[in-house]
Amino acid sequence: MRRYETVWVVNGDLPDEEVKSTIDKFTGIIASQGGTLINLEEWGRKKLAYKIGNTLWGYYLIADFAGQPDTVKELERNYRIDDRIIRYLTFKKADQVKMEAVEAEIARAREAREAKEAKAAEAAAAAAAAVKAAAAEEAPAEAAPEVSAPPEEPPAETAAPESESAPAEPAEKEE
Amino acid sequence: MATYPRRRRKQFFVRRKVCRFCVDPKLAIDFRDTNTLRQFVTERGKIIPRRISGNCARHQRSLTRAIKQARLLALMPYVPAPPPP
Repeated sequence: MRRYETVWVVNGDLPDEEVKSTIDKFTGIIASQGGTLINLEEWGRKKLAYKIGNTLWGYYLIADFAGQPDTVKELERNYRIDDRIIRYLTFKKADQVKMEAVEAEIARAREAREAKEAKAAEAAAAAAAAVKAAAAEEAPAEAAPEVSAPPEEPPAETAAPESESAPAEPAEKEE
Repeated sequence: MATYPRRRRKQFFVRRKVCRFCVDPKLAIDFRDTNTLRQFVTERGKIIPRRISGNCARHQRSLTRAIKQARLLALMPYVPAPPPP
């Protein structure tokens, strides 16, 4: 088994479902040709450095896998047939690779992916919390100037000075 | 006969060039790392020769390969786009 890395660029003008279907197609080809997928990376939609065909956008996908030379042959044959693929490149990373090493790599890749996802989820949660907090902070300030007599806040005397300073802040942020 | 002191050659300050990839082993050459690769091409997208960049032969070879791979995948331009008029 050899260790390979393959990059394929899908036409970025295509809808996401088309892009995702290429993932299934090509990882399927790797698997059917006796290869083992180690990691799949998605770079996502990127602007190309130059126009290819009629598009300026490409969706980059990178698969790290172990396989035989024939795996690559079949993979590249299919790249050439598929019109959605605008560019592809395959690299050989190692001539020999042991199955145990591959499995360890797969586990490590999965761990890295899970950690990344957990981090992303955490960040999203934190961002959501921040938005919520900001919204909660802004809500009374905004409610005060717009609604002259807010139903929940009877003390209008304290709301009035706030209403003067509060609108100034969001206005600054917008600029 | 007047003897003139031999005219001294103009002294250049030659800065010793070192291969940046040898100096910093952490700096990897990879087609996907276009920010690093961009430091080794001119504004017109040409690969800077070893004579100028000071890279060692081995690293220059892998660098040019990486730049060409990045160009093929449209990560880097062959010729930069003209500025908008």
